[in-house]
Amino acid sequence: MNGTMLLARTEIIRLRRNRRYMMTTLAIPIVLYLAIGKSTKTTVYGVDFAAYYMIAMATFGSFSGALMGNAIRISQERKDGWIRQLRLTPLPPNSYVIGKLAAAMAITVPSVIIVLLLGRFYGGVHLPAGEWIAIAAVVWLGAILFTALAVAIGYRYQPDQAQPIAMLVYFLFLILGGIFFPLGGVLKSIAAWTPTGEAIKIATDVVAGVSVSAWLVVGMIAWLAIFSGLAWLSVRATAETV
Amino acid sequence: MSHTGTGPVVSFENVSKHYGSLRAVDGLSLDLRAGETVALLGPNGAGKSTSLDMLLALRKPTSGKIRMFGSDPYHAVKSGRVGAMLQSGGLMPEVTVLELVTLVAGLQPRPVPIATTMRRAGIESIADQRVDRLSGGQTQRVRFALAIAGECDLVVLDEPTTAMDVETRRRFWASMKEEVAEGKTLLFATHYLEEADQAADRILVINRGRLLADGTPAEIKARAGAKHMSFRLDNVNEPFLLALPGIVSVDMRGDVVQIQSSDSDATLYALIDAGYRPRELEVGSLGLEQAFLAITAEDDRASDPVPTSVQPQEA
Repeated sequence: MNGTMLLARTEIIRLRRNRRYMMTTLAIPIVLYLAIGKSTKTTVYGVDFAAYYMIAMATFGSFSGALMGNAIRISQERKDGWIRQLRLTPLPPNSYVIGKLAAAMAITVPSVIIVLLLGRFYGGVHLPAGEWIAIAAVVWLGAILFTALAVAIGYRYQPDQAQPIAMLVYFLFLILGGIFFPLGGVLKSIAAWTPTGEAIKIATDVVAGVSVSAWLVVGMIAWLAIFSGLAWLSVRATAETV
Repeated sequence: MSHTGTGPVVSFENVSKHYGSLRAVDGLSLDLRAGETVALLGPNGAGKSTSLDMLLALRKPTSGKIRMFGSDPYHAVKSGRVGAMLQSGGLMPEVTVLELVTLVAGLQPRPVPIATTMRRAGIESIADQRVDRLSGGQTQRVRFALAIAGECDLVVLDEPTTAMDVETRRRFWASMKEEVAEGKTLLFATHYLEEADQAADRILVINRGRLLADGTPAEIKARAGAKHMSFRLDNVNEPFLLALPGIVSVDMRGDVVQIQSSDSDATLYALIDAGYRPRELEVGSLGLEQAFLAITAEDDRASDPVPTSVQPQEA
């Protein structure tokens, strides 16, 4: 097995053992969906509330895992010297980040699948097979953005700073993106500019059967470019101190 | 596989590392030859860790050139020919000791069987313990295991026995000797002088980022006037003793004379040739510690000359 794959596999083993991590990615979205998913018959973004909330909770699980699971850990592992230790092995320099990304992607798969299954069998959301796959893909690939953001924060800040910064950014994007509750008015137009809001809008547009605005896709790619750029700057700035 | 070329395993050519006005490493030049066990000895802040960091491609020198196995440090490290244990190196938490050693062995082009690594590092009994729940000494042994998880030609250890108790330290050096017996080159930084004395066949003394002495432990000791003599003798004066060959220092209390000499034989013969018959004569080696202190103190005096004029103090 190649070294990067081996590292990614070990990262997955670690994440599976971490209760707090499994709570945020798995337990919270499931519990919230069971509690709120069928609470109202209204429509949001042109789809049933049950479908909207399913997408919101899948996004929540996936994005939380990517950001909260990585930012503080990366910061801590940099402080502890684990990243330094890895640099002394024949592993290519970008393997550490690739390993984190691969692990975050792998570990959020069950969370996304379980929330979508809940939507289907508990929330009563009925969709053609292609749309289920499209929703899962948008929500799941969106986690790449938040992994990039986690790298930017984790490499730049010490653990005691990384924790509040990650939390702040996280809740800002969750609330402004309309993950916990649907937004109206000015907040709704702001949501269209956040990566979380864009992911949810793309997925709900798929469900509503309307064509997905190219601007939403461009917006997500732009956020990916911004977060990746920040990540690259952070990694470069700390090259001599990790 | 041992080092195949004829050149040095490691060479520093006039290497400096400056942080602003601080010269952490200042024009360091040295060569390590294949199969040597070399101790890098120096007080805290002497530039040991910075030198090792540069050797391992973790930091870039401000100036000068470092070569390892005839290539630049980065490519030498990435080729898997170096096993290293740094003071600042950490471990991946949340996995067991065995899982971590298995991971790092899997990253090596020529992995050592995991059971062998576990035995050499003395960590078989903690194989299933979580890495983040180990004691300081256990952590240190796991870090050592990671350094020897691959078949390498050069082992670099920064203060390897810090946090180890005496027994663990003894076992550590026993397994280290097993490693080096395979023809590997070993470079280790330490502040335990006894360790350098016993384990190394060559000692590099550095202070303020510069190389002060380079030789076998015996040579380093000799360099600082490293024989201690004591005897009883009446009717002798200090100026006479100070004029004897090889004398470094003289201390007289009544008829008890204590001498430090760089050539105890010459000192003794000159004393006897002058007609003296010292009683209760004892000659012993000074420890490496005194030698080391003498060498670095000499350097510190040279760098910080005592002010020639002293300002009168105001009340």
